[in-house]
Amino acid sequence: MSTPVKKLVTAIATSVAVMGAGHAAAEIKIGIAGPMTGPVAQYGDMQFSGARMAIEQINADGGVKGEKLVGVEYDDVCDPKQAVTVANNMVNEGVRFVVGHLCSSSTQPASDIYEDEGILMVTPASTSPDITERGYELVFRTIGLDSMQGPVAANYLISQSPERVAVVHDKQQYGEGIATAVRDTLEEGGVEVAMFEGITAGDKDFSSLVTKLRQADVDYVYYGGYHPELGLILRQAKQADLDATFMGPEGVGNKDINTIAGEAAEGLLVTLPPSFDEKEENQELVKAFEEKGEDPSGPFVLTSYAAVQLIAEGIEAADSTDPFDVAEALRDGTFQTPIGTVEYDSKGDMESFEFVVYEWHSDGSKTPVN
Amino acid sequence: MQDLLYFIQQLINGLTIGSTYALIAIGYTMVYGIIGMINFAHGEIYMIGAYTALIAITGLAALGIAWLPLVLIVALICAMLVSSSMGWAVERVAYRPVRGKHRLIPLISAIGMSIFLQNYVHLAQGSRNVGFPALIEGGFQFGATDSFQTSISYMQITIFITTLVCMTILSLFISRSRIGRACRAVSQDLGMANLLGIDTNRIISATFVIGAALAAVAGLLLGMYYGSIDPLFGFIAGLKAFTAAVLGGIGSIPGAMLGGLILGVAESMTSGYLSGEYKDVVSFGLLILILLFKPTGLLGKPEVEKI
Repeated sequence: MSTPVKKLVTAIATSVAVMGAGHAAAEIKIGIAGPMTGPVAQYGDMQFSGARMAIEQINADGGVKGEKLVGVEYDDVCDPKQAVTVANNMVNEGVRFVVGHLCSSSTQPASDIYEDEGILMVTPASTSPDITERGYELVFRTIGLDSMQGPVAANYLISQSPERVAVVHDKQQYGEGIATAVRDTLEEGGVEVAMFEGITAGDKDFSSLVTKLRQADVDYVYYGGYHPELGLILRQAKQADLDATFMGPEGVGNKDINTIAGEAAEGLLVTLPPSFDEKEENQELVKAFEEKGEDPSGPFVLTSYAAVQLIAEGIEAADSTDPFDVAEALRDGTFQTPIGTVEYDSKGDMESFEFVVYEWHSDGSKTPVN
Repeated sequence: MQDLLYFIQQLINGLTIGSTYALIAIGYTMVYGIIGMINFAHGEIYMIGAYTALIAITGLAALGIAWLPLVLIVALICAMLVSSSMGWAVERVAYRPVRGKHRLIPLISAIGMSIFLQNYVHLAQGSRNVGFPALIEGGFQFGATDSFQTSISYMQITIFITTLVCMTILSLFISRSRIGRACRAVSQDLGMANLLGIDTNRIISATFVIGAALAAVAGLLLGMYYGSIDPLFGFIAGLKAFTAAVLGGIGSIPGAMLGGLILGVAESMTSGYLSGEYKDVVSFGLLILILLFKPTGLLGKPEVEKI
């Protein structure tokens, strides 16, 4: 839909809404904000597809408290400025529940407006820890945080009862954050962290580090950072016959690591969000997507579905369409969704978001290990 | 015993990386010695050498040629040819027109050239890491205790020996050959050398060509040693090599060798005994200390005021 046409439709919709405001609201508007165009539009497609499916199915089941859900869609192009405009449009349209935004950089400024205007927001994709760090009452997510992977990785390592573990990171926000979480969890679990140190991103020579790892005689090495450095470390470790298993976060789990490390990438452990569409209990839903000719396997399809579902169940539980009541209901309740059991902490983050440990192979494929 | 083996291992690591710093540092130090400018595009010449070697190796593999000595020699010759012509062209295009102007002008020109070459390779080869085949594999180990043994890979030995050979040939070339003598004359006094009938433009071009050829050798060696290259890897290596050149005394060829080795060993000892986080702190701290107490570097000669 081209923008002028969309604006016209929006204008008509707004006037209809204004005219209808006198009557008891017969429908509940769910705003969906994400990129329909621009470089990350393919992620936006996942979001819209998941949210539309949820609205459709909830309405088919009789809606929420007898009222139908209506999706109100906006394109933010994953541009922070556009996201602010979209947020203001949501306010003007009287939307009180939003599924979005997608990019953390868009979600952050939009959430300021939603919080001020009393609109409840559930982001299905933004993983930046900052979004929920500001004490906002109406901000939730159906996705994990960058910082949640650390404990998952550490708990897996603890379950393997290693004698000594080394934790290495690239001194950047993402890598050092995860590495610190891993170290802390390991130490709480009684595992000896033999080494905790940083390397310089962009370096090529890790022979000193590898020698040190050999000297420390570690069973596992956890690396917080991205694939270019870990690829080189893996390769140099293999050349020096270092007998240890490496593990890393999402940031190392892409095929480029195979180009760099070659054979040495075999057996690397990586934490990644699970493939929700492969779960047994979601097969019926997966079929519904496939019947519509849509692909449910993208990482944000079912998180968006869950976001709509949580809003609907929150309204039911609170027996109110006031966003503050719904927010309280979400924080108090436990909900069954396609992405698993959802419970919220006071910040609006999920108590647990499952990351899965995969074993990486030298041909770029992966197999789950637990 | 184990501590000693550990020390030796870190020493080997440091000497390997130090040798390659030295090979690249030669290019900086020769150019500085002769025309007193810092060629910031030198790191990019090294990176281009590595890419050329990779393209040559891939091409030979596509032709079904796998005999190692032949592959290495062809890759080396291609890399040296392309890098040398690059070095020559960079001097011709970016430095000669501004030579003799205020010393900031060639410096800015060099930085511009560095950015241009980096982005050119970005466009031509993509910004991703490219895998480099490890042609020389294996190594040997000694002093096996239960938990730790010192190992040297054949690749490390190759790097070390190649550097020594290149340095020896270069020193002989500078001290014995006609062009070498002319180089020394130009470095002492460009105007006077010109008056005495030395084609100084040719000598300066020769300096860039020699420096670039050595950088290409380093590019091939390090590509094989690390196993992956990207368009940015010349920049960081260039920075380190420049530090090595200044440390040893910029303008002095034995100084570049010494500076490279000291820097390499200091880095590996810091990551080995302190922490990898302090590696750059120590190497650049060392540089500051040397500049404070011996501003000409370890082997640099104090500049005599020319009257």
